[in-house]
Amino acid sequence: MHTDYFDYVRGLFDRSKIDGKPEALKGIRVLDFTHMIFGPTVAKTLALFGAEVIKVEVPYIGDYWRTSTYWGKYWKHSNPFYHFINPNKYFVGIDVKYPEGKELILKLAEMSDVVIENFAAGTAEAWGIGYTQISKINPKIIYASCSTFGQFGPDKFRPGWDMLAQGVSGAIGVTGYPDTDLRFKIPDYYGDFQPGNYAAMFVLAALRYRQKTGKGQYLDIAQGEILMREMFHFTYMSATGKSIGATGNNDPTMAPSGIFKTQDKTFLALAVSNDMQFKALCKAMQRLDLAQDPRYEKAPERLKAQNADLLNKLVSNWIACNKANEILDLAKIHGFAATRVMNDVDLCNDEWRRERGSVVEFDDEMYKKLVLPAAPVQLSETPGRLKWLSRPLGYHNRYVFKKLLKLSDDEIKMLQDKRVVGNWDYHVGQRPPVYYDIQQDKMFNYKEETNGQ
Amino acid sequence: MGNNEKNEKTFSRYLKDKKTIQRISEWGNVIAKMASPEGKPEALNELVVLDLSYANLAGSIAASYLAEFGAEVIKIEGPEGDPSRMITPYGEMVDGVGLCFLMENRNKYMLSLDLEKAMGQENLKKLAAKADILIETYAPGELDSLGIGYRQLKEINPKLIYIAITPYGHYTEKARQLAKIPWTDLTSQAESGLTAIIGALPDEPEPYNWPTRAGFHAASYVTATSATLGALAAVYWRELSGKGQMLDVASADAFASCVGIPVIMGYIWKRPRMRYGILDYGLCPYGFFRCKDGYIAIASFRDQDFRAALKVLGRWDLEEDWRSLLDRITDDTEKAKILDNEIAKSIANYTYDDLYQKFTSYSYKSARNKWSGGGLPVTAKLLMPEEVIKEEHWKVRKTFMEVKGEKYGSLLVPTAGKMSETPPRVKWISTEIGKDNAHIYEKYGLSD
Repeated sequence: MHTDYFDYVRGLFDRSKIDGKPEALKGIRVLDFTHMIFGPTVAKTLALFGAEVIKVEVPYIGDYWRTSTYWGKYWKHSNPFYHFINPNKYFVGIDVKYPEGKELILKLAEMSDVVIENFAAGTAEAWGIGYTQISKINPKIIYASCSTFGQFGPDKFRPGWDMLAQGVSGAIGVTGYPDTDLRFKIPDYYGDFQPGNYAAMFVLAALRYRQKTGKGQYLDIAQGEILMREMFHFTYMSATGKSIGATGNNDPTMAPSGIFKTQDKTFLALAVSNDMQFKALCKAMQRLDLAQDPRYEKAPERLKAQNADLLNKLVSNWIACNKANEILDLAKIHGFAATRVMNDVDLCNDEWRRERGSVVEFDDEMYKKLVLPAAPVQLSETPGRLKWLSRPLGYHNRYVFKKLLKLSDDEIKMLQDKRVVGNWDYHVGQRPPVYYDIQQDKMFNYKEETNGQ
Repeated sequence: MGNNEKNEKTFSRYLKDKKTIQRISEWGNVIAKMASPEGKPEALNELVVLDLSYANLAGSIAASYLAEFGAEVIKIEGPEGDPSRMITPYGEMVDGVGLCFLMENRNKYMLSLDLEKAMGQENLKKLAAKADILIETYAPGELDSLGIGYRQLKEINPKLIYIAITPYGHYTEKARQLAKIPWTDLTSQAESGLTAIIGALPDEPEPYNWPTRAGFHAASYVTATSATLGALAAVYWRELSGKGQMLDVASADAFASCVGIPVIMGYIWKRPRMRYGILDYGLCPYGFFRCKDGYIAIASFRDQDFRAALKVLGRWDLEEDWRSLLDRITDDTEKAKILDNEIAKSIANYTYDDLYQKFTSYSYKSARNKWSGGGLPVTAKLLMPEEVIKEEHWKVRKTFMEVKGEKYGSLLVPTAGKMSETPPRVKWISTEIGKDNAHIYEKYGLSD
């Protein structure tokens, strides 16, 4: 036990050994009927940990997120964020509107462990690929329906996106500045991504239950509800009869707290969550008198609005008179939480994230180099990993139809001619990048005898 | 026709033939049984979880999720209690504890152990020998130096799944250097890229155009969810392999890893995004607009949705300049603001109910008319928590569960996620340090 602790743990999470390690969810097959962000994120999270995810899209149309992108700018003829949301997946184009298409989907469902969909409530049922049909042919199925309002309740048929979930849950209502009507969205589709991970957690709990009992089940995951689950405002209201509202940059559960500007015009976030940390901050500020002041010494008094406001002003003035590095050094020495406000470029170039493996430079066969986050949690024995970025619409048709559904080339051709199955049209985001010779691609032209090699 | 019936007709376009109607009604029967967990089994009821969260809500939340799924979660605190007991809005306490602590200690058994004393460490080892999952949030290396970290406990129990949650993790140079920096939600938000892009447009006055925090513990819940889903993947694999493992979650990283967009933006465009107020980067119009009596969301994603929104608002004049999605998504804030301001001007003339009616009946007609392209602009009202809690929809779904304490009265806590066979649930919330000592000491043969 003489090894240094950090070196010991570094060995457990050694990035160079990831490819040789097993995958936690290997052998789990997921049928992914989802589009945009919320649903696809559920399947993606499972795919990162080794599940075989088959994403079914409508031929020649596909997931709308393929052809959308930030700022109207594409990357190598694709939406770069689509890659983040759909790595490691198998892409097939099957049209459920044709009876033959539905039959193919049901065959895949029969051999799957998990189905995920995020259409408006009832749509999958109406199409005949809902829980009631699939559980009849595969009673062990875990079927997750993901939506904004959930599958029951008077508003169940209301459609929604991330922003609507944020609006109806109160999340936007509490984000912004008091005494103004400035309200802000939580950016980057927080209301899709975080519920996506939350739903993946539910799928895993259901898988664990099935592992013990052999029983499948139906999951109803509502993103609006998940955002409410994260807000202390409701419990506060029921306890005190008062409401909190928006509180700007001050966290009303921590005092002092805020985002402040330093002498060298840098934004720093600083917060104190308990008495010990407060003492540490007072030492750094050379204001030990504050740590003995009955208004500030103990959390219940310190957190009272008028006391917290006074403290926040003191801290704000102190930070305004110091440089960012000076404050951060003091935080390190004394042990209170302070950090720079990190922006997109900082995050991308941050050595710590690269060293941790939470941001990786991934070299993809089709799209080459992309820097993106890998798994949201590091596992020592079964680390999550990226295997490939997303692929064009219908790219894995032959692989999936031949290998899993045992269709012949002729049968596939017939289905293609009837447009029951298919791949991309000319739209950017659906088709392969122009520099890529798809005719030479072994997976796209999958032959059973060579196993795609 | 009431609003709800209309909604039902609008958005469920497939209720035409008998077979479909029958399928929907069958599905209705499955759904009807999902509102209440009563009498149903629990998904994780055989798992034993040790919750050693210390001054870190993310750890408490992760353990709380597992407890909702039915795991036996034992919250272990020192004799002084977990400092996160005091994390609460405006210092408001219930039964001597803060509301955040209360909210995130669902269904937990409360055990007190002094981990700095030999006896406490021995007892922890006894528990760890029987436990499936351990969650800890101490500074990296701290439990190791007490002889009760991962490398010691895995010798006692090789099947243990050990989860460490800290700001910077347990294995990098930075983790070593910043080991003493504690967790807070606000610094986690700032360091993982969230606050940099919340806030008003640059021309708004200070401090409104500064980086701004999400008004709830957004980073902590991402951290906790990542930890829990990792734990459950590890549990699944352990059943097949017989092996435990260590999980490492960094709260300064969790949001960026979850949403991905900031890192990719940084890589591809090499410049940071500005704060955009209520506008959206990807889509326009996609945001909340001020109407006569509050704010209304307008989300028109596809071209046909945009056309529908223009028709409803009587603004067909905008169609020519903003016809395709690519016209409406731009990195030019000034350009995006033009369309945004035009939409805002039109919306200001209506009340929420006016607009909601107009949009709903348009969608209703368009869903039934193959010539109007199925435009479905989506609307919703911006609600404050005090309005949310009154919504009939969430009442029917039992989103807010009532819990009663022995000493405190009844409180509402939010829940999310329904399972047909093993619904998660809130059974009790305890506040007293060491309340379940007798029970746990006896059950696990701990020594006094």
